[in-house]
This record gives sequence, structure tokens and C-alpha cells, in this order.
Amino acid sequence: MDARQRPKPTGIVLKPMRRTGKQLARTLILGKPNTVLYPEEKLDLPQIYRGKHVLDFKKCIGCGNCVLVCPNDCMWLEKVEDPELGKIERPGVDLGRCLFCGFCAEVCPTVALHMTTEFELADRDRDNLRLGPLDIRDDSFGETFIEERQKRLVPVLDLSKCTDCEMCAGECPEMCIAMMPIENTDRKKPEMNLAKCLSHGKCAEACPEKALTMTEVYESYFDMSEPDLVLEKCSGCGACARKCPSEAIYMLEMPGTEKTLKGGKKGKPKKRAVFVLEKCVGCGRCHKACRFDAIDMPGVRK
Amino acid sequence: MNLFEFCHGIIHWLVDLVNNLWYWLGDFLPWYFGDLFTAIGDFAASEGHLLFMTVLVESVVIIVVALINVLNFLWIFRKLSGRILDFYGPYYVGYRIGGWLQNLADGVKLFTKEIITPTKADRLGFLLAPVIFVGSSVTILAVIPLSANFGLSTTSEPGEYVSAGALFALAAFSIAPFAILLAGWSSNNKYTLIGGMRSAAQMMSYEIPLLLAAASVFLLAGSFNFVDIVDAQHDMWFFIPLFIGFVVFLICLIAEVEIIPFDLPEAEAELVEGWTTEYGGMRFGLFYMTTAVRSYAGGALATAFFLGGWQGPWFVPDEIWFLIKAYIVYTVFMWLTWSVPRVRIDQMLVFGWRRLLPLAVLNLLIAAALKSGGWL
Repeated sequence: MDARQRPKPTGIVLKPMRRTGKQLARTLILGKPNTVLYPEEKLDLPQIYRGKHVLDFKKCIGCGNCVLVCPNDCMWLEKVEDPELGKIERPGVDLGRCLFCGFCAEVCPTVALHMTTEFELADRDRDNLRLGPLDIRDDSFGETFIEERQKRLVPVLDLSKCTDCEMCAGECPEMCIAMMPIENTDRKKPEMNLAKCLSHGKCAEACPEKALTMTEVYESYFDMSEPDLVLEKCSGCGACARKCPSEAIYMLEMPGTEKTLKGGKKGKPKKRAVFVLEKCVGCGRCHKACRFDAIDMPGVRK
Repeated sequence: MNLFEFCHGIIHWLVDLVNNLWYWLGDFLPWYFGDLFTAIGDFAASEGHLLFMTVLVESVVIIVVALINVLNFLWIFRKLSGRILDFYGPYYVGYRIGGWLQNLADGVKLFTKEIITPTKADRLGFLLAPVIFVGSSVTILAVIPLSANFGLSTTSEPGEYVSAGALFALAAFSIAPFAILLAGWSSNNKYTLIGGMRSAAQMMSYEIPLLLAAASVFLLAGSFNFVDIVDAQHDMWFFIPLFIGFVVFLICLIAEVEIIPFDLPEAEAELVEGWTTEYGGMRFGLFYMTTAVRSYAGGALATAFFLGGWQGPWFVPDEIWFLIKAYIVYTVFMWLTWSVPRVRIDQMLVFGWRRLLPLAVLNLLIAAALKSGGWL
């Protein structure tokens, strides 16, 4: 017997005709075709579509990670004078060179940079494609849709308020806080093991000075490098702390390094930089600011 | 009033008008000019001249009506293909009438294109092929009347048309393979040649069942005349007793008109554009238009032979009834076209010779039995 079934004539002709007849009724009488008549209608694009950039000035901290990560080198930081925020640095984007990979929006540590669904970006002049920070400013865009990036509640330390009382280390149920002495100073600093942290928030409750606060931090897929201090070279000038966009660098005094002045009085002690790495966004601005090569940052060009 | 009387009246009025002017002009001239003018005016008013001019005007009217219908057919073709395949079809040109003007716009565009003849083509054949194809296809329209009052005739008697018009229409219908073969050969291109050969094989094998199915109709009607055939269907349309013949006739028409299940001569996936590959500009446009003319003629033939011609309830004019039926036949063709895939050449020939031909003979036997039994 032939295993193959011979199709009947009705199956060859009438069944397809019934199918197309239904389609015809659907597109001609009951509804309309699937085509989107582009200039009049527009496709309903998904929220994750990567179109023109939009920057939230208030969320942006001006770290420049977007500039660092851009594969086409089409972004730059520009100094802007803002009546509300003062003198700030914000990124601009050259759409003529942009490849719309979305890395800039993904690497942004504060999720200030978004990509909208606007795709009609053509222009007759190449210069009009260079959008400065003021051209892409839209402070209210972030409220228009639900954020998809992973957030995590972690304790963030304000080292200037910390009094080394060790309350947080005692309260942590996961035992992930250890008081580590800072080299050459008499201070201690709680070091969080964030891999173990389960966001209980007990350390922040226990802190008498409110130095620890539970803050939502966006997780990044990007492996940003961290600064590493070479203590012998540090002169304590504080340029890195002034440059740091996320205020993760504190200048602490080193007792015992005071110079004896002529009158027998002792001068001010030398300072050193201390990094609170939970706050660090890995932008490398401290590395660039340091004139004594005291900050190592692998992977960041000076 | 039928078409002949209408056209005759127009020509008579025009000749009278011109002759009055002409004789009035002759009064101002010397006598020898006046005599010449009178002679010319008498010739213009003679019965033979009037008849000739009337037939000319009649053909113009019939061709114009047919070409308007062809534009409608092309529009149906494009619109239905669009809607069945889930897109809009013609839309912007003639927005308010459903994109109807798109075909006119395409025609204008094709007129502006350069007409290219391949270097190694047979120039005479290359030029003659579209002429024969278009000419033979348009000739079919001359003998197909839309009603007893609307057709090419030389007398004012209603229904006096070309005798054996149906036979003439079928004969003109089957000249096309020759033109197609000529086009395929003279283009000097392997794709066109294969397309032309396929077309010849296809048309020759489907001509016979087509004619046998038509023969059963002639047998029942007892005439080759369109009016007699339609009048014979007054009590019962022929597609009911001759249902097998009707189906065979429709399938053979699809093969003759070369639309999709049987469009092997211009199979886009295999041969570039089949036998029209080397034709560009308005020559291609004429081929495209003529395919629709042949579809129109095919629908009209199916209507006249099997669907009762212009017979229908009184509230719609006869001509409109005829056109409605032809449009329905064409729409079903298009529906089939966008539903089924193209068949293979061997499948098609096997289907034609082994299935359709016996069915057509069976149908002829049924017709003979009905006629000799006196049931119809």
C-alpha cells in the first residue's frame, strides 16, 4: 500500500478557497488589512524600541559612563549652565554616528538616559544631527513608563557621619558587614559584602548617626572597573573627591604625619582618599583627575 | 433602440450637418466646383457610406465599453489579490473610488518608458507577436454581444449579429498560442522560448476539452449564434444539465487565459517572466492589458454559453445582467488564483488529457442524450 494519502480534489481546491474567502471577508468587509499606511498611521512600537535619546537632567550625575561605553564614540560631555542645578556636565549625542545599540542607556547608573520610540530622525544637514544635552533634555520622560532595569536595596555609607560604633556589623543577620581598619588612619569602615546582603535594612535602623541609608541601586550588566589607591603616591590633594560624581571618595586625615612647624606647633595632618565602593559607578574620573598616578583603574585610559 | 439605430442616427445627423454646410459653400463657387461638391455630398449621403461609418462607430463604442470593463477587471485583480494576501492593493491613486485610477497611472508610466528590442532578436517576429496577440484578442470582443440590442450588427433588426459568432469567438481565442510562440522564439532568450513552448503545449491540450464543452452547448442550442444560444437558455440555464461541461469549460478557460494554477508560461519562480521577459514599456503593458481582455472575453463566453447570457429579472437592464455574470465568473477565477499553487507541467498535461478530455466527451454524450430524448 502506498503510505502517502492522495489528496482529494476538494482538498486541493475548495479548502484553500474557503481559507482565502475568510481572509477576504476579514480584510474587505469586516475589518481592514494588516498594512500600516506609514505617513498617516504609525506602527505601535514597543517601549524597548531604541530610537532618539532622552536625558533626565535631575537624575543624571554627569559621570560620563555613557561616553566611556559608546562603541562609536558618538557621545561627549558638555558643560551646561543650569539655573536650577548650577554648573553641570551632561552628555550630548551625535545621531549621525550613533548605531542605536542602547549601551549608553543600559550603563547609566542612575537610569537618567532613555531611548524613546521616536525614529524619524533624518535631516538634510549633518550638523543638525549633533544633539547637545539641551536638545535631548526631557526631565519627565522617566515617569511615562515602567522601569525594567533590576533594582536592589542596599545600605550606602556616608563616611563623614560614621563614628566606628560597630552597631551595624552586630545587627546584620547575614554577617556581611565587617569593620575594616583603614590603613594609616585610626578610623574603621564597615565593609559590606554585597553578594551576601539580603536587604534586611537592620544596619540602617541600628545606625545611631544615620550614616547608613537603604538606597535603591540599579544593577548593571557592565563590569565597571574600580579605583585602587596607591598610598605611597597619594598627596592628599583631594582632586579626586572633587571630581567624583557620586561622592564616593572621602578625604580622611592620617594622624602622625603632621609636620612640626617652626614655632613648635604641629601643622595639619596629611590626608588620604578613601573609597566607598558601594557608591562608585566606575567612571574613572578620579583616575583622570589624579596628577600623581596614585589611583589605579584598569581599563580606563587617562 | 439598439446600438445600430443609435449609431446610424448619429452618423445620419452628422452627414446632414456637414452636407448642408458643404452645399452652402458650393453656392459661392464656380459651377464645376459646385458639381464636384454635390457629387461628394451625394456619396457621403449614400447608404453604403452611412453603413460603413455606422459599423465603425459601433466598433468604437464596443471597444471603449470593453476596455472600461478591462480596467475594472484589472482593478478587481489587484484589489482582490491585495485583500486576500492581507494588504491594501491600489489605494492612493483615485482614493475616493478605491484606487481605481491606479491602472491608468500605470499605463501613463508605461507609455513614458523606452521600448527596447534585444540586439539578437528576430525583429519582425518581435514586432509582430504583440500585434497578433492584441489584435486576435480584441477581435473576440467584436462578436460578443452584451444583449440583443447591444452588439456589432449591420441591420436595425434586433439580434441580427455575426452568424456563427460563437464559433468565430472561439477561433479568435485560439490564435494567441501562435503569437506567444512567436514572441518566445523571436526574443532569442531561453526563458522566453521555454515559456512559449509551454504555452503552446498548454493551449493546444486545453483547446480540445474547451471546444468539446462548447460543442455540447451548440448541440443543445442548435446554433452557433450568440442570440440563439442565449434564447435557448430561457427556461433553464445550461450549467444545470451540463454541469460537468461547465466545470470543464471554466478550468480550460483558466488554462487559456494563463492565470495562476495554470500560469506555467510565465512562471515567475522558474522562468523570469515567461514569454514576456524581453518586452518592455507599453509592449509589456499591452500584453498585461490583453490578458485582462482575454479574461473578459472568457468570462463573457462562459456567461453566454452556460449562465443564461443576459437573461435575468426585468429590474436590471440586459447588458448589466450580462456584465454582472461575467464579473462574477472573473471574481471566482481571481479567488481561485490567489488560493491554489501553480501546478507542474506534467501534472497539467496529464490533467488535461486524461481527466478533462474524457469528462468533456462524457458531457457531449449527455448533451446528445438530452437532445435526442427531447428533454431540452
